[in-house]
Order: sequence, then structure tokens, then C-alpha cells
Amino acid sequence: MEIALDTPVKTATPSRPRQRSKRRSMPMVVKLAYRNLFHDRLSFAVTIVGIVFSVVLVAVQTGIYLGSEKKISAILDAAPADLWIVPLGTKSYDDPSLLSGRERHMALSTPGVENAEDMVVSFAKWRKPEGGQTTILLVGSEQISDKPLPWNIEEGSREALNAPDTVAIDQSYFPDLGIKGVNNHAEINGVDIEVAATTRRIRSFTTLPFVFTSIENSRRLSGAEQNQATYERVLLAPGADPQKVKTEILARLPDVEVLTQDEFRKRSQSYWLFQTGAGAALIAGAVLGLIVGIVIVAQTLYSSTKDHINEFATLRALGAGAGYIVKVILMQAVLSGLIGFALGFILSLGVIEAAKDTKLTVIMTPQLASTLFAVTIGMCIFAAISAIVKVVRIDPAVVFSR
Amino acid sequence: MSPKPDSKVILEAQGIVKILGEEPNTVKVLKGIDLQLQTGELTLMMGPSGSGKTTLLSILGCILSPTAGKLSVAGQATQGMTAEGLANLRRKHVGFIFQGYNLVPTLTAVENIMLALDLRDQSGPDAYDIAADALEAVGLGHRINAAPSKMSGGEKQRVAIARALAGSPSVILADEPTAALDGKTAWPSWSFWRRSPRTPSAPCWL
Ligand SMILES: Nc1ncnc2c1ncn2[C@@H]1O[C@H](COP(=O)(O)OP(=O)(O)O)[C@@H](O)[C@H]1O
Ligand SMILES: [Mg+2]
Repeated sequence: MEIALDTPVKTATPSRPRQRSKRRSMPMVVKLAYRNLFHDRLSFAVTIVGIVFSVVLVAVQTGIYLGSEKKISAILDAAPADLWIVPLGTKSYDDPSLLSGRERHMALSTPGVENAEDMVVSFAKWRKPEGGQTTILLVGSEQISDKPLPWNIEEGSREALNAPDTVAIDQSYFPDLGIKGVNNHAEINGVDIEVAATTRRIRSFTTLPFVFTSIENSRRLSGAEQNQATYERVLLAPGADPQKVKTEILARLPDVEVLTQDEFRKRSQSYWLFQTGAGAALIAGAVLGLIVGIVIVAQTLYSSTKDHINEFATLRALGAGAGYIVKVILMQAVLSGLIGFALGFILSLGVIEAAKDTKLTVIMTPQLASTLFAVTIGMCIFAAISAIVKVVRIDPAVVFSR
Repeated sequence: MSPKPDSKVILEAQGIVKILGEEPNTVKVLKGIDLQLQTGELTLMMGPSGSGKTTLLSILGCILSPTAGKLSVAGQATQGMTAEGLANLRRKHVGFIFQGYNLVPTLTAVENIMLALDLRDQSGPDAYDIAADALEAVGLGHRINAAPSKMSGGEKQRVAIARALAGSPSVILADEPTAALDGKTAWPSWSFWRRSPRTPSAPCWL
């Protein structure tokens, strides 16, 4: 039997020296995971499409949510105060009603208050020069603090609003208000006014356009009495305790609420996002995106695991612990998540870029990006559960039943 | 082949019974097998198709559990062991050459062996060289990067042999190791065995 031993071996093994490899190769778990993924291209493509869809949907919905929050609080952020005195029961800064008129005086006489400015906000009727009427939110403010309204001025100036019956509007509202540029005239509550300044990218969260003017103009146009205001912007002296000042003001003034900057922002945001259901719809959209992602990834990962069940059984028969096989499945999930996130994120940035000059404000922040990344990977790992349950139950004896 | 005096018992089976199939169509495939294998020893088993060779090997390899009887591998009784415990035993002591080879189809020849090394925590930078050397030892030095689907039955089998040898198991269980080969090519692929050292730590072959 040993006659034929040596010669055929020599021919089968050419004795040319093999190059020693010094490169560090990919860990076997990763290699096996990515080979499994790429082995079935179609199901891998479906997985990636599912993750991309999910990432884009969640990114855009969350981006719109954050954009809405920012849009709702834009005026408050542009002209902040340490404390706001507002009529009792105010739901949002664009839910205006008038204070009594004693607030400024009372605030200024409270220890710790450095300054107080009136703001008069009201709904008003705007008649376009070419005819036709629309409702606006008229925002009148003083110019005492170093952060006056409006901001982002393109044409004209804030000073120009000090002249009687002049206003500033955003360029994006030109069509809604029937205006073509500065010096155009229109009517507010039946009074002829002139557009003396224009701004860029100041849009309200609602359909009502903002129209900015001086405090005097705002009072006159809305019919508020001398000294009456809708909100009082209170600026504190350095080192003053806001809570103490708040209590002091409340003791002097009945029928008002005193809110910190953050409280007024949050109140306005939660009114528009939750009382109206808009925020709930956005959150539901994001959750839907997640569910779709989980279902698709779980489905494809499970069927891929079933397709490769013989290999997993072989691994088990070779002595692989359940942990090793779980690592392979998790690696498949994470690799899919990484690729899907990368593509989905790029696509989301494209969508956000495209939405930049539309009425929709979509925001992407580094925090949102990293949260989105964690959520995507988490989603893929969660989706791997059914495949993992399947694979740890494998009986290695399956290798003989072929 | 008679065992050397200093060799150790690696595998011991007593009264192994295996009943396969579901009631009422059960088949008593193994009817009480007693067996003792020692390191450095080569044992051959013959029997017609369907006589239970695969069933016995998979029980000895701790892949299938016996219906009755006792089995101990490397001095450890397998009775009552968890799936993880059995997997550990297979990984540490058993090299299995499956009748159907069972190579991972998505991995190349050398990667299949690297996988077996990785299971045994031998995934260091020289894993590739160890795996390539193992392939060279079975005469497949020129097919290192071949995919299983591009290999002949004999080549696949030699990869399976190299994989079973990787990680130096105490016992190698080969199921119909020459089935895919005719007499002329069968022996060359096994000649490495003749060249391997006869030491107390050398694997036992069945
Ligand atoms: N799952 C099963 N159910 C019932 N009988 C089985 C099962 N698997 C194998 N057998 C029977 O067990 C016997 C032994 O099979 P096997 O160990 O594969 O034989 P060999 O490897 O010697 O050809 C055969 O008669 C086969 O039909
Ligand atoms: Mg068989």
C-alpha cells in the first residue's frame, strides 16, 4: 500500500516557497459576518434599504421636530430676558393678551431688577397693496437692550422703525403680504404703513407672518393704551437671584405669571408641539421609521441565519461556544447598521440641504447625529434577537442530517 | 497498531446505545458499544453503509448524545454536561472530519482553517501561516485561497483534514476519510499521517 506514497505528494505540492504574511488580517468573526452578508446580495440590499429608510425617516422627523422647537422659540432666543412677566394663563408668546400697565413700574422698583422693557404683541389685519387681507402677528418692542427685534436685517435698519407707522417684514413673506421690497405700503388694522426694513429667514411656526415694529407703533396700531404691554422683558442686575426676584414681583402683581427664559421657551414649544398634536405626529413618524427598520432588519437577518444554519451548526460541531456564534450574528447586525447608517446619514444631509430654503426647517446637530448613530446600531442589535435565539438553539447534530 | 506503553486513554465508551427516529418508527442503531482509544493510536472501523459508523463517531465526538451508556473524553464524563460544556470538550480535544466535509462555503481553504484556529483562541498574527502550513502538510499548498465550491471532493476533504488537525486535538474522528477518493489518490493525502510523530501527545485516530 505504501508504494505510491511519495511521488504523487511531491507533484501535488510544488515546493516553491510561500510568502510569509506579516499583515494583520481581519478578525475571523468579522470576516465570517461580512462574507455571510455579502453572500446573499439581494437580502443584504434589502437590509440596507430598510436601514437607510429608517435612518432618513427618523433623521428628518427628528430634524423637523428640533427645527420646530427652534422656530417656535426663535423670537425668544433672539431677544432673551432673565424673567418674563406675562398675563396669567399665557400659553405661548403668540397667544397675546394685555397686561394691566403697571408691570414695568413695579418691576423696576423690585430689588435686583436692572431693566424692564415692554413688548406689545397682537394679531392684526394686514391689507395688501393690491387688495386682499391676511392675519399677521404684530410684534412691537423697545430698543433698549442690546438685542432688539427683529434680527437678520437685510434692507433698512432697526432705527427706521422708530418713525411712525413703519414695519419690518421677512423677505420670505413678500408673496403672502403682497410686498415687493422696502418703501412699499400696506394697511394694518386700517392704518397705512410703510415697509422700512426687511429681514432674512425669520419665519413663524404658524401660518401667520411676523410683522415687526416699534413699541409705539405697535400700541397705536393694536389700540393698546399708553404703558400697556403684553409681555415685560425683565433684565436682572448682576448677581441677582431670579427665584427671589420672581417671588418679589409676584407679591406685587396679581394676575400675572413670571417665567424664566427657559420656562417661556418650553411653554411655547410644548403648546405648539403637544397641545396641537404636531409634535406627536412627528414623534410617531420617527417611531414608525424605527419599527419599519427593526422589522426589515430582523426579517432579513433571521432568514440569512436560516440560510447559513448548516455553517453555524458546523461551527458548533467544531466546538464553537454559543457566544462565538452570537458574536457572528451581532457582527452581521452591526456591519449592516454601520453601512446603513453611513448611507442613510448622507441621504438625510441631502434632504436637509434641499429643505434649507423651503418653509420647512430641518435641523441636524452633532448630538442628533450621534444619537441617531447609537439608535441605528441599537436598532440593528435589537433586530438580531430573533436570529440569535434561533442560532443558540442549534443542535450540532444538524450537520449529519444533510 | 498497538499503543505505546506511555500513551494515555483519551476516549472511553461503555455500553453506548443509540435509538434514532421517532415513535413508533425507532431504530436501535447502536446496541451497546464498548471502546477505548489511546493517544498515538490509529483505529480503523469498517461496516456497510447504514451500519451506524457516522452515528457512533458523532457520539464519540460529543456531537450526538447517546440514548444509554457512558462516555468519557480526556477523563471527563460527558453525562449530564450542558451544550456549552460539550462544545468546550469538542473544541479542546476533538478534531472531526465530517463525511460531507462541512467546510464553510463563504470562506477560502486557508480561512476555514483560520476559523478553526480562532475558535481555539489561536487568532494571533501568525494564524495565517499556521493555517497555510497545515494546508501544505496535506498537499494543498497551491490551493490556499481556493473557495470550497471550486475544489474537488478530494481537495475539500484534505482541507477538512487540515482543519481537524489545526489546534492539535487529542483525538481525530474521521468519517469515511477515503470515500471521495479512489485508491490511487487516497493514500497520498493520508501519507502525512505516516510522517507525523509518534509521541504520547500525538492524536489518536479513528
Ligand atoms: N434521524 C434518524 N432517524 C431514524 N433513523 C436514522 C436517523 N439517522 C440515521 N438513521 C439510521 O441509522 C442507521 C445508521 O446511520 P449512519 O450512522 O449514518 O450509518 P453509516 O454512517 O454507517 O452509513 C441507518 O440505518 C440510518 O437509516
Ligand atoms: Mg456515514
